Formats: sequence, structure tokens, C-alpha cells
Amino acid sequence: MDCRSFALQVDDWLDGRLEAAHGRSMQTHVDSCSACRRGYGDAGALRSALRTLSAPALPPGYAGRVLANATAAPPRGRQAVLGMALAASFVLGLGVAAILFALRPEPMQTLVLTARQPENVRLMFNAAKALPDATLSLTLPENVEIVGYGNRRELTWTTDLREGGNVLRLPLVVRGATGGELVARVSSGASSRTFRLKIEVRRADGSGALPAPRASV
Amino acid sequence: MRPQVEFLHRLAWRFTGSAADAEDLVQDVLLKLYPRRAELAGIEQLRPWLAKVLYRQYVDFARRQARSPLAARAAGAPEEGDPLDAVAAPDDGPEGRAERGEWRERILAALGRLNPEQRAVVVMHDVEGYSLEELEPILEAPLGTLKSRLHRARQRLRAELGMEPFSAVERVKR
Repeated sequence: MDCRSFALQVDDWLDGRLEAAHGRSMQTHVDSCSACRRGYGDAGALRSALRTLSAPALPPGYAGRVLANATAAPPRGRQAVLGMALAASFVLGLGVAAILFALRPEPMQTLVLTARQPENVRLMFNAAKALPDATLSLTLPENVEIVGYGNRRELTWTTDLREGGNVLRLPLVVRGATGGELVARVSSGASSRTFRLKIEVRRADGSGALPAPRASV
Repeated sequence: MRPQVEFLHRLAWRFTGSAADAEDLVQDVLLKLYPRRAELAGIEQLRPWLAKVLYRQYVDFARRQARSPLAARAAGAPEEGDPLDAVAAPDDGPEGRAERGEWRERILAALGRLNPEQRAVVVMHDVEGYSLEELEPILEAPLGTLKSRLHRARQRLRAELGMEPFSAVERVKR
């Protein structure tokens, strides 16, 4: 056996997928080839490290939160319910084509952010059917920034929206004492829909805004 | 579904390497599955079935993330707890802890540089312990494809981690 054959079969050997006789040939080669022996040792170490790679524990309250969001979302195949505020996210309903403008306007939702404290806000767009190559635009109020984007107030990109819930996570930070209105606009073909979210600011000491559910972090 | 949330979250975190992305991914899956909850009750082997749904969603999620201008900036966003805090291991002193933490970070970073299909096969086979035969229906690929995908993924991981290559062929590729 040469080094090339060894390299091609070493994964099968590590995984116990080689017959005993073949395994003995691999062992004979690795015993006599220092380069393959080092490589084999490294591969074994990587395998052990992967096997013991622990995952973080479930965050407290996480299961209840995601299940509540799932049960609160509007059923698929029906015109979306708009303006439903969830504890951990904001749901924005989105129809398509003919029904886009048939949807009734909903009261604007309010999001309360703490000044100068970056927070992840989840916007959920519910689409009545899949919208490939939809254009998504965000316009931010004066004092609100997307983390990493500095003073940029507008952002536009193309994305595929699936039928049902589509979650957009926005890392937002408020730089001043006042909020304003975040505008999200979704366009597909000749149709478009605009969603507005009112942002209020709570000072770091907890004052400055009415008590309201915090955006998700 | 509640008993399955921990399983979904663990897999989602392993796929994405991010607590926030894992939460979004699980949320996506639950939104998709909730209307089908009656169907779920009749599924005998629920976990492999859920893993398949999560994998499909992850590949879709990764593609959409790659197209979103926000994905590249998300690194600067606050995370819900440092996943590395959850490392459980015997205490071998500050040096040992630092070394182990650094090794773990390097492995996670290397996993993050695999494409979604490669990452999924490593996570499901090498981390979660599924056999390649069990993964055929979950990852929806034939055995031969999974074997070569796993081989390439491990090769890439070893290269990313600066490990010893096996042969002249592999050395040239690096």
C-alpha cells in the first residue's frame, strides 16, 4: 500500500468500515510511514475533539418563546393577520400580487429600545406564498442604527421569501434620546407593501418610555 | 413539540455556530411544522424526520444569509450568551482551560468555513454519531456522495487546523 491509497481509505478505516484484512494493510503502512502516522494521529485527534464538542444549554424560557411564536403565527395558505405583536418578535403580514393591496392597514406597533444598548430585533414577514427575488428595503429614523452600518439610513437587497414566516434579525442600537419610525418595504414584481414600526427610547436607567415588551435579544 | 425543541436547538447551533442564528433557524422550523402537528403525531422515527426538515431549512437559511447584507455584519451584534461558556470538562487549571478553549474555538471556526452540506455531514456523523446509512434519507444524498463529502470536509478541516496532510496529493492541494 502506498501513501495515496492510505489517504484515500483512512476515513473508512477510522470509521470502522474496512474489512479486517484491509485494516491490517492500513496498520502495516502506518507503522512504516512516519508522515502517514502523523496524519493518522491528527485525524484521530480531530475525530475525538468533534465527538466531544458540546453544545450550549437551551436558554431559559427559549422553548416556550419559540413555541408561542409558532402558535401565534397565522396559518399558511390564508391571508396573513397583520400587526400581531409577539413577546419576542414582530410579525408583519405579507400577501402577494392581487391581494397585496387588499390587506387592511393595521395599527403601527411600538418597539422600545434602551439607549446605546445594541439589541437584536426580529422582524417576521409572513408571506401568503413564496416570493422569489423579492426586494427588501429598510429605512431607519435619525437616531437608530443597524450595528456595523454607522450612519447609513437606508439598506436595500434582494432575497427569496418563503411561504409562511420569514425571520429577519436586525441588530439595532439607538444613539440619541428619541426614536422614530422604522420602515420596511417589500417589493415583488410590480407589487409592494410597506410596514412601519415605531421605535421609542428608554434611557439606560429605565426611564423615558412607556413600559412595553422588550424586543428580543 | 416541546420535548423536541432542545434537540432541534442543539442541531441548529451545531449547523450555524451561532446562538442567534440557531434560534432563528429553530423558529423557522417550528413555524413550518406547527400547521402539520397532527401529521407529526403519526411519525414513528420523529428525530431523523425533524433532522431532515432542519437540514433543508438550514441549507435554505445559509443561502439566504449569504445574500443578505446583514449577515456579514451580524458578527458585531450582541449574542445571547457565549456558546463557549457551556464547555463542560474536568478542571485541569487555567492553562489547560485556555488551551482547550482555544482548540475548541479553532475547531468551531474551521467548521464555519465549510459549506453547509459539508458542515452538516460532519456535524451529523462525527459530532452527533449518525451512521452514513442513517444519513442517506436525512441529508437526501446517496451513500457514495456522503462518503466523498465527509472525506473532503475532514480534509478541509485538517487543512484549516494546520494538521499533517496524508499524502503528496493532499499537500499539493493545500
